[in-house]
Amino acid sequence: MGAHPTPSDFEARTNATYDALMWALSRPGLPRDLPSAGQSGIIETLIDRECAVYCEDPAMAEIAARTGAAMAPPEDADHLFLSQPPARLAGLRQGSDMYPEGGATLVIPTRFGSGRHLGLTGPGVGGQVLCRLPDIPHSFWADRARVMRYPMGFEIFLIDGAQVIGIPRTTVVEVL
Amino acid sequence: MSLKSLTKDWEPMSYGFLDASAKREIRRKTLKAIAVPGCQMPYASREVPMARGWGTGGLQISCTLINLQTTVKVIDQGADDSVNAASIRRFLSRVSGAPTTMDTLKADLIQSRHRIPEEKLREDQVLVLQVPNPEPLRPVQPNMSIARQMHADADYGRMWLQLYEQIVRSGRVMQGASYPSLVHGRFVMTPSPIPRWDVSKMHMAKHLTILSAGREKRLHAVPPYTRVEPLVFDDVPYQVEEHQDLTCARSGAKGFFMNEIPQDDGSSTYEVSDSEFGVKTIRKGDGEPVEIGATWYHAGEMTQ
Repeated sequence: MGAHPTPSDFEARTNATYDALMWALSRPGLPRDLPSAGQSGIIETLIDRECAVYCEDPAMAEIAARTGAAMAPPEDADHLFLSQPPARLAGLRQGSDMYPEGGATLVIPTRFGSGRHLGLTGPGVGGQVLCRLPDIPHSFWADRARVMRYPMGFEIFLIDGAQVIGIPRTTVVEVL
Repeated sequence: MSLKSLTKDWEPMSYGFLDASAKREIRRKTLKAIAVPGCQMPYASREVPMARGWGTGGLQISCTLINLQTTVKVIDQGADDSVNAASIRRFLSRVSGAPTTMDTLKADLIQSRHRIPEEKLREDQVLVLQVPNPEPLRPVQPNMSIARQMHADADYGRMWLQLYEQIVRSGRVMQGASYPSLVHGRFVMTPSPIPRWDVSKMHMAKHLTILSAGREKRLHAVPPYTRVEPLVFDDVPYQVEEHQDLTCARSGAKGFFMNEIPQDDGSSTYEVSDSEFGVKTIRKGDGEPVEIGATWYHAGEMTQ
């Protein structure tokens, strides 16, 4: 076989980041390793000028703005890079029954691995997966269940350093 | 901000053929497709150096996922060595430098046209299926805008009516390939034109399936451990092709999906459709150390 193109650092990073995000969402509750810590890797993997982005952290907003994405308030954004779990979930974009893909994607930094167990069930979970997310208030999961009506909804990526957990809209989260 | 930060170094070609913006769009849409199993997500479907309808949808997914460590297997109607499969495999390898294989057990990424391999796929494998027509409602509703509204309303009455009419007219469901299936109890999807034999392999499977239609510019996905139930009436059980008792004339494998090969005298012989599975069976019979993985079907019966 002849010469093939070699991946640039950017390509290798975004490819690995997407692989982690895809598997995180396919297997809810199971942490995956990102190539780098923090939200900036996810921004360069997913965001470009076709996106409307909301960033709480001004440093992230600058990185997102460099991709050409439009800055939008939380209720209009399709990707939200937050600093903590949002207090109000009802206003977030959830798509429509005809176009469920219009739902938002939330990226929230948090900590994994202590506090009460959460029981996750739904597609991607064989049986039940337990995970522990101490910094997410229990009312968040109750609100999430209350405001979403499948197939409308939003996706959540929780990141702790260079690890990511995905919670798609299909996952039922139970505080045990 | 400088001019340097707005540009990138010259490259003769993007890695994996697709440019970064095409990949980002496919990534965003695939994530949503995984989040809403079986729901068709529109996407841009860029040009690739292959005619629409020859697997361009699957190819774009593969080009997005591929990296230097991804071992790729490509099959066409079960065969690794058909022209379409060989061309796509060579293309993927050329644009990415990824290693290729024919062995289902060694593959990380399997792009397939119209078959799911006979050996069980694992939790770390991705199956990319090429889809000619992603809309299961098209036979009953040719207008795709109305069909989308029907999906939104979970209005699948006409789908059931079509199956009922087939049973009344012919005594059985006549749908051979792309059997409409209910995913996660909500969306009816086409599993792509795989035989009925293969549809049950998707139900609560361990692997991730991404189905992509390049010409129709839509993709959908079935995450691992997701219910995929073919539409059947309670009193008319789902039937797979009657290949349970057929034996492969070349490898001796029995109870797998077969290709029928007509003979001069009007009779038929059969050979196993999953070509590499047949090859491995032959080599094992010759005493070579070949590893054959667990199969979905045992003695012609689906096992879970």
